Amino acid sequence: MAVPDSAGSAPPSAGLAAPINEPQALGWLRQTEDASRRYYAAWWLGRMRSGHPEAVPLLLQALRERGPAASGVTAEPNPVARNAARALGKLGDHRAVPGLLEVLEDPDDGLREAAARSLGALRAVQARGPLLRRLASGPSVAGAQRPTISRLAEPCEAMLEALGDLGMVDLDDPGSLLAVIRPYADHERPVIRSAACRSLLQLTGESCWGERLVGLLQHEQLQVRRAALLDLGATGWRQAAPAIAATLAENSLKLIALRGLVEESPERDCCDATPVAAEVELLDTMDRLL
Amino acid sequence: MTSPPHGELESVSRLVAQVEGAQTADALTAAVGKLAAVRNPLAIPCLIQVLGFNNPGAAGAAVGGLVAIGPAAVPAVLANLDDYNYGARAWSVRVLAAVGDLRGLETLERALAQDIGPSVRRAAARGMGALQLHGEETAQRQQLGERVLPQLQAACRDGEWIVRYAVAVGMEGMAGWWQPRSESLDLLQEALQPLRQPTSEDVPVVRLRAELASARLRHHAVVAANGMSS
Repeated sequence: MAVPDSAGSAPPSAGLAAPINEPQALGWLRQTEDASRRYYAAWWLGRMRSGHPEAVPLLLQALRERGPAASGVTAEPNPVARNAARALGKLGDHRAVPGLLEVLEDPDDGLREAAARSLGALRAVQARGPLLRRLASGPSVAGAQRPTISRLAEPCEAMLEALGDLGMVDLDDPGSLLAVIRPYADHERPVIRSAACRSLLQLTGESCWGERLVGLLQHEQLQVRRAALLDLGATGWRQAAPAIAATLAENSLKLIALRGLVEESPERDCCDATPVAAEVELLDTMDRLL
Repeated sequence: MTSPPHGELESVSRLVAQVEGAQTADALTAAVGKLAAVRNPLAIPCLIQVLGFNNPGAAGAAVGGLVAIGPAAVPAVLANLDDYNYGARAWSVRVLAAVGDLRGLETLERALAQDIGPSVRRAAARGMGALQLHGEETAQRQQLGERVLPQLQAACRDGEWIVRYAVAVGMEGMAGWWQPRSESLDLLQEALQPLRQPTSEDVPVVRLRAELASARLRHHAVVAANGMSS
């Protein structure tokens, strides 16, 4: 899993006065002259989980915007649309789904990546077909590194994770879903392997995938260990707790992962306000990392 | 490895020299780990220096060493709080939080209220609950509790879930030293309320931890009541 920076997604741009309230952010997104203000406003509305009725329609408009922001804000292509795609995943409004599905076919892979994550977050099962089509060619095509840059042909990590988030709901043929994902568990990049194992663990509940993720906690690269921590957290696979606590990484990430084991586990009974014995053990493990 | 008493200085100096001569980040971490393991106050200056090296592995090992040395390390840590080196200050707060020495309380309070790093605020919140008091009178313990609790309560509104989680742990910890017993347990229960309710706390794991703290305090109260009646 991609490790988020502390700001959550795109950091506020330097030199721009930050909007301090929702009306101002909406105003910045409504105007069309200043792309860097639109970029910042899109980020702000997602970060603050805006519930304003105008937020989603404005973000959907911003999703169609192509081209760079004003110089100096960010180097990424289509920054306004990318931030809009990220924000729409945070607002929990299903009016965003058709627009995001469209963007899943965009030539900009960064935009496809943002859309995949947001569709997963929205649990938009309509995205399953398009995601599977993009990944079906397997690690050697969809998962191949592109000639001039380090990015893969498809944003595999985000797409694999989205498939896991969508789960098995409304699925006629689980076998073909798993057959597409499984080869990515042997991808040459450990972070992709981690994403695939996470997804397979979420979908099948088979502990072999959890054990593979625990194995990645021992990887020599810190970035891989961090990704595996967050992936385990997302699955809520509680057997991983001791391995998480012993991982060589910062406690902040271990705590996020352990929170995931508490909250995302299929064993968590949401009606139960008091922790059961296994949860007390997890909480004690967290306490020792504070 | 045990050294003869008169060889102690020599042996610590040798380990310090290894820290100073380390050529790579991993070698530094390993050397600091060895120096930390001897738990010798002679290692304090070197361990404190490592806190400012911007090497998380080595700094973590140094924190472990200073915590193991305990209260003897506190004056030196306080004297070296470096406002210009954020990293060093953050690691120092962690040492003070883990040692729980009263002399570090002011630093923890300032960190909880003002530090920009959630990991520093979370350590401070836990540390304020885990003060190690020895022989203080009831009146002094009462005053300390009245001083610490409002600060933890204010941190219930911290924007980071992990800080609020640590506040619940800190409040539970306060029961270990705050007196008089029954009044303080009531006040702590009341203070935990906002962290237990979905209307005021939206992160499930924080609510669960506050619920656990509350249950443990109720258990304390029952034990205390039984103790008094017998």
